[in-house]
Amino acid sequence: MCKRILLALLALGLFAAPALAAQKGYINGIDANYPPHAYVEAGQPTGFDVEALNWIAKKMNFEIKHVPMDWDTIVASLLAKKIDMVCSGMSITPERQARVNFSDPYFVVRKVLVVRDNSDLTRNQVLQGNKKVGVQRGTNEAETLENSKGPNGWNYTLTYYDSAPLAVEDLINGRVDAAAMDSAPANDAIKRGKKPVRIVGEFADPDDFGVAIRKEDAELLKMINEGFKLLTQDPFWQELQEKYDSFQ
Amino acid sequence: MWEYLSSLAGELPYILQGSLTTLLVVFFALGLGLIFGLPLALGQIYGPLALNRLVRIYVWFFRGTPILVLLYLFYFGLFIALNLDVSAFASSCIVLGLTSAAYQSQIFRGALESLPHGQLKAARALGMSDTEGIRHIILPQALRLSIPGWSNEYSILLKDSALVHVLGVPELMARSHYVASRTTWHFTYYILAGILYLIITVLGLRLLRSLETKTRLPGYAALSHE
Repeated sequence: MCKRILLALLALGLFAAPALAAQKGYINGIDANYPPHAYVEAGQPTGFDVEALNWIAKKMNFEIKHVPMDWDTIVASLLAKKIDMVCSGMSITPERQARVNFSDPYFVVRKVLVVRDNSDLTRNQVLQGNKKVGVQRGTNEAETLENSKGPNGWNYTLTYYDSAPLAVEDLINGRVDAAAMDSAPANDAIKRGKKPVRIVGEFADPDDFGVAIRKEDAELLKMINEGFKLLTQDPFWQELQEKYDSFQ
Repeated sequence: MWEYLSSLAGELPYILQGSLTTLLVVFFALGLGLIFGLPLALGQIYGPLALNRLVRIYVWFFRGTPILVLLYLFYFGLFIALNLDVSAFASSCIVLGLTSAAYQSQIFRGALESLPHGQLKAARALGMSDTEGIRHIILPQALRLSIPGWSNEYSILLKDSALVHVLGVPELMARSHYVASRTTWHFTYYILAGILYLIITVLGLRLLRSLETKTRLPGYAALSHE
């Protein structure tokens, strides 16, 4: 009897979960560890990208749900149809473009190096002085740093973190000499997080953020592009940038 | 300080909901492990040689493969290849459950083998079939003997469940991580997560211990230690 109840509960749990997820509308996968573009506040996903997409969803009349995902496998989740798009500060890169489509760029982000406030390291010292540099794994920044060592004659040891805020945390802890990340989380750590760190310079060309969408979903891509076109012409776009303190 | 406490208070419900998800994952995984683990153990001991081999291969595979690898493999590989729409939550329960089944089968096997072999013979002498003997004589004893090992499995599984955040299951670890990223108070929120895991472990173990006491047969425990 006891076993039968357990079995029933088990079956319920395993089959109810996908049913709950299969709501109408689209699912946006976000990296909830990427403030200010996407994060969770009071239990709700929010942030620059989340609010922008919400605005577009309302304008274009579709339902959108934001689901925090693991960043390392977010493209795999998109291809596996667990989510329908990634609007969460995703840089447009050739590797990603080989597998998914990207919307028109909606945000330009600089690639910055962050050091401790009390450190007098310069950009070049960080890149050429055999320093330890923290970076979020699975990101474009990590890849850029890995690949530009030889060509640029740079010299550093990379330490990988689960998120940009964790890299900043360990920078303050003193375990790394610098952290490399997008300007958005760097500014967020300094302005909102009030972390004792500062930006010393850039290590690569700026990146464009785009919304990643499966190649076969051409309709959705069109809709998102139109949505962003409307949004950038709306006063709300300016409002968003001021709110999240991340001017381009 | 005030800002700090109000942030903690504000985030607590969100993180506590994550504890509930963690508990559900552990509950389903333990249940699945029990449902599969017990037949595995019985098959390994009483089944034909081929079955014994199969069980051994199963146990070897799931004990030898990291849960993280299995999570990725099942969620992004197996289920997709089979064209099955299995949610991240269900995938997590299945992977942890199958892994736990391997471990639980060995807990049950240990308990089954610790019983004197003569018991089954005695059951046959009383006119019972092997199935009846196992069901009415062997299992009631073996299951009782398994509870301590099973309690251990519970606490291990609870901690392993923190891994499922890689599939985006909004459990305790994932939620603590999200909140830590936003507030930048990593230390605070990981301590909170640690405390919550500890509380869940202690409460669960207490529950299992009371189950152990409740199902104890008077005089039996003393006998088995002789």
